[in-house]
Amino acid sequence: MKIPLRQYLDLLSGYLKPQWRRAALLAVLLFASIAAQLINPQIMRFFIDTATAKGPLSDLRNAALIFIGVALLQQLVSVAATYTSENVGWTATNALRADIARHCLNLDAAFHNKHTPGEMIERLEGDVTALSNFFSQFVVQVLGNAVLMLGVLALLFREDWRIGLALGGFALITLLAMGGLRNIAVKHWTASREAFANFFSFLEERLAGTEDIRSCGAKPYVMRRFFELQREMLRRDRKANLMMNIMINLTEFLYAVGNAAAFTAGAWVYSRGLISVGTVFLVFSYANLLIFPIQRITRQLQDLQKAGAGIARIQDLMREQPKITDGRGGVPQGSGPLSVAFEKVSFSYDDQGVVFSDLSFELGAGAVLGLLGRTGSGKTTISRLLFRLYEPQQGVIRLGGIDIREQRLSELRQRVGMVTQSVQLFNATVRENLTFFDPTISDSTIMSVIDELGLRSWFATLPKGLDSEIESGGAGLSAGEAQLLAFTRIFLRNPGLVILDEASSRLDLATEQLIERAVDRLLRDRTGIVIAHRLATVQRADAIMIIEDGRILEYGPRQALLQDPGSRFSQLMQTGLEEMLV
Amino acid sequence: MSEAALDLGSASRYKGLKPQATWRYVWSLLKFRPRYYTLMIVLRIFIFGVGGQLVGLITRTFFNELTSKAPLRFGPAALAAMLVAVALVRAGVIFTDIALDVHWWFSSSALLRKNLFERLLDLPGARSLPYSPGEAISRFRGDVEETVNFLDQVAFIPGYLAFAIVAFVVMLRINARITAIVFLPMLVVLVVSNLAVSALQRYHRANRKAAGAVSGFIGEMFGSVQAIKVATSEERMIEHFALLNEKRRVAALKDRLFHELLHAVFWNAVNLGTGLILMLAGQAMRAGTFSVGDFALFTYYVAWVTELIGMAGVLIADYKQMAVAFERQEELMQGAPAGSLVKHGPVYMSGKLPDLPRLAKGSEHRLERLSVRGLSYHYPGADRGIQDISFDLERGSFTVITGRIGSGKTTLLRVLLGLLPRDAGEVFWNGEPISDPGSFLVPPRCAYTPQSPRLFSESLQDNILMGLPPEHYDVAEAIREAVMEEDLEQMKDGLRTLVGPKGMRLSGGQQQRCAAARMFVRNAELLVFDDLSSALDVETERQLWERLFARQDATCLVVSHRRVALRRADQVIVLKDGRVEAKGSLDELLYSCEEMQRLWRGDLDNANGG
Repeated sequence: MKIPLRQYLDLLSGYLKPQWRRAALLAVLLFASIAAQLINPQIMRFFIDTATAKGPLSDLRNAALIFIGVALLQQLVSVAATYTSENVGWTATNALRADIARHCLNLDAAFHNKHTPGEMIERLEGDVTALSNFFSQFVVQVLGNAVLMLGVLALLFREDWRIGLALGGFALITLLAMGGLRNIAVKHWTASREAFANFFSFLEERLAGTEDIRSCGAKPYVMRRFFELQREMLRRDRKANLMMNIMINLTEFLYAVGNAAAFTAGAWVYSRGLISVGTVFLVFSYANLLIFPIQRITRQLQDLQKAGAGIARIQDLMREQPKITDGRGGVPQGSGPLSVAFEKVSFSYDDQGVVFSDLSFELGAGAVLGLLGRTGSGKTTISRLLFRLYEPQQGVIRLGGIDIREQRLSELRQRVGMVTQSVQLFNATVRENLTFFDPTISDSTIMSVIDELGLRSWFATLPKGLDSEIESGGAGLSAGEAQLLAFTRIFLRNPGLVILDEASSRLDLATEQLIERAVDRLLRDRTGIVIAHRLATVQRADAIMIIEDGRILEYGPRQALLQDPGSRFSQLMQTGLEEMLV
Repeated sequence: MSEAALDLGSASRYKGLKPQATWRYVWSLLKFRPRYYTLMIVLRIFIFGVGGQLVGLITRTFFNELTSKAPLRFGPAALAAMLVAVALVRAGVIFTDIALDVHWWFSSSALLRKNLFERLLDLPGARSLPYSPGEAISRFRGDVEETVNFLDQVAFIPGYLAFAIVAFVVMLRINARITAIVFLPMLVVLVVSNLAVSALQRYHRANRKAAGAVSGFIGEMFGSVQAIKVATSEERMIEHFALLNEKRRVAALKDRLFHELLHAVFWNAVNLGTGLILMLAGQAMRAGTFSVGDFALFTYYVAWVTELIGMAGVLIADYKQMAVAFERQEELMQGAPAGSLVKHGPVYMSGKLPDLPRLAKGSEHRLERLSVRGLSYHYPGADRGIQDISFDLERGSFTVITGRIGSGKTTLLRVLLGLLPRDAGEVFWNGEPISDPGSFLVPPRCAYTPQSPRLFSESLQDNILMGLPPEHYDVAEAIREAVMEEDLEQMKDGLRTLVGPKGMRLSGGQQQRCAAARMFVRNAELLVFDDLSSALDVETERQLWERLFARQDATCLVVSHRRVALRRADQVIVLKDGRVEAKGSLDELLYSCEEMQRLWRGDLDNANGG
């Protein structure tokens, strides 16, 4: 698999342009270092010839001092160059990481259902880091070393054209060999990185689920998978390393050939009396100088192969496009309650049966709808469609009379609030979990929301208040407390439509009353859809809809349905009521 | 994300490995694949000690023959040919070395990862990690790699030494005075490096920590995508991500700069040495006691020894980084017996994978009675937990634990099952005390469905069986008991359906029922479930209880506040503020216990709300 140079250049220019000053400095430093390397063999030649010709000692001493000075300069330049190149590398890859993360966060739920967080870590850390050297070093090293080689060859030609020719030929063969091998390992490195990603995604998932593994007694099973995945990593890495091995050994061999060429050419011309011993030494030194750039270019090419694998995977990632995109937007929305309308909506998830077909209903602004039905009947799906987390295959969904596809996603989602049964929490403080790391939301705002919810007493039990740490996945909180946090989150905004999906199913009866009062406040002057399995939860609804197998079984005002003995709702209330009577 | 991880008792008491411990760990790791490692050392001695030396000596001979008037022994062509021959052999040896290295590298890193992973799986299940999984992953990756990379470099040392010793001997024989002066700056260098070492360690730790923060945050971000979308917080999350990345960049640059400066000091001292050779050799060359060939050899050696000193310096720095890496891995081990991190064991790089143990249910697993006495646990640094819980349950009984939010119901289950480490109290199985409930109360004795079950991105069947052989365990029956058979019919791929990361491709109710099926299939004596029915509607819940009770002899311990469950219970335990408020049948409690009445009435008020 060849990675066209074009793609490299495109990636390069995009992320290096903002750092052009640093990149320029880096170039200057590297060239200075090269110049220093070209000078020293000349000093050596002067030294040897002067010594063998028994020249003045003072000349020899001066040569030594200049040598030391130049070497010192080269060191300092090298440190500065390394620092600058690291800086360039980090800045560029950080920008790339942010771009990839942003792109992926904006992808549809369908994407995230297929890719674990561990995999994302491997992509953003592993693949992008493989690119780091590429950004910071590649062009300059390749260009710089190319210049070094040309400089060396030019100086060699200056001494004797036959020597120049011999070593020039050697350099050419070497470059061709290296160039030809440029891409041999990319495919294998890609496969190897994939195996790494699989392994770490496996690990991350299992580490997050140790409670389940332990209580199922599934440790041997998990360990077996662990070994399986490790083994696959080894297998693929071995292949990739084999290719690398070939490259390295070829370099070693060519190194010797270069020296051999210097020996023979140098000795031949010396035997004709055309050059001095010092010059033979010079030729020899320069021949070695030819090898180092080739080695460095080779190393850059090796890193390029790794970077190539990283680029391939990143491009795959960036090529994924969200199917759900912003509409034209800019349609003015009031801040009041939104009406809801589903018009002949049909939807099914990728690989499962049809969830609903031809679903239509309307809900007036400010009304509260109680949505009932068996699990899997499509209730949660309705909320996901309203959020445009998924898109119906057919039909139109309107909020406030406007087709939701015509709005910008951010506008739409800011106007709809949702509390779900599973609350996603971060390993961060309570504050950060509530504000999603937004520093502009003040503590006083948060506290006033907590008070409005009547949660002050619960909040007091938190050891450090807003600074209390929550563990990853919310392990330190009970599910009920997680729900309370979810409610607080939603209260921090001002939605026109509120969807409560099984919001109070995890709360015990007494505490639920607390929430119910707050929910009343939330639903005042807002449209609400309350999805519940429990009949008690829908007491506040103005209208009731019962869904079964993706179809509306019953839809009407709650009181009317309640009073109609033939309605499904009143029957459900009967069976439900039975368990409520003491 | 803030700096401090949750205080976890033993993890926070841990303050870092002592130097002797680091060396013991290194030694243990080196002994793991001794044949590979020894062979690598031998090959590297050959590469440097023999191959490297030959190149230098051939070069010297070449120049000496050029400048001497004596008849040629070899001639430039022959010497050139010898160079190429040596290179060929060397190439073959390097090839072999690299091949061995890959295998050794993977085996060694597999050992570290295995020990880390097994330790984490052995810790109480609900308290296994002091930080996010993503942060832990950075230790499995970066820190393990640093450790093994260092050891890889150590295998070069004998080769370097071999080269250096031969070089030293040869140079002394040619001109002792110049040799001595060349080596003086080298010593200065080593002294300087040792002084700077502790500062290096500090920067490196900070660097790795910043990397862990980034890694952890990525895991968090992509584990909560829906919440982020719903809150339209994508941009804010990315901003925070960029902030963490920036912190890391600064830390990494500091780390690298220090490293490089140290490096530069080495090289300058060495260049000084080279300059000194030039100064001293001049006189000797004029006098004819130091040939051009000798000069060529000395510069070759100095170039090499420069490289080697540089590598030695890098090695010293890497050693300190490796010590930090070991420290971070040891932290993850959280107080495991000393040396567990590097304990030898099979890593199955080839050959047959380990068999899964077959655990058939026998009479020794039978439950007659489970007793709990004085069970207590306190969340570190918080005012929550359970205190002095005691109760009994008999075979075939149905016990419900109930209470308001935060009263300790889930905590109780976790402590009972050893998923949290108890502070005090005893649990008795048929009258015998259980010392390690985490290992004892597992299938076939006991199976558990947590409040927020975790599914893994595998097939539905694999999530249910989790390693049990399908021919001996009835998946279909478990699915029926979990009231999932209709959902299964809807799925195109049936049991082979992939559930996605964290089971995301299933609905919330399906996830919970899948976890229930996982519990049911294990045919355990005691079934423990925490709030199982919260994701189920009335109908489904009713069916689930019905089918469960149709099983003869099911012994269940359930957390619930549902009336269906409370009515069925043989025993209800009411918890309040972490203590047992009351125990008894539902009727008794409704009569005598105010808290129970309050809990019960809460639901009634809602129903009558009209």
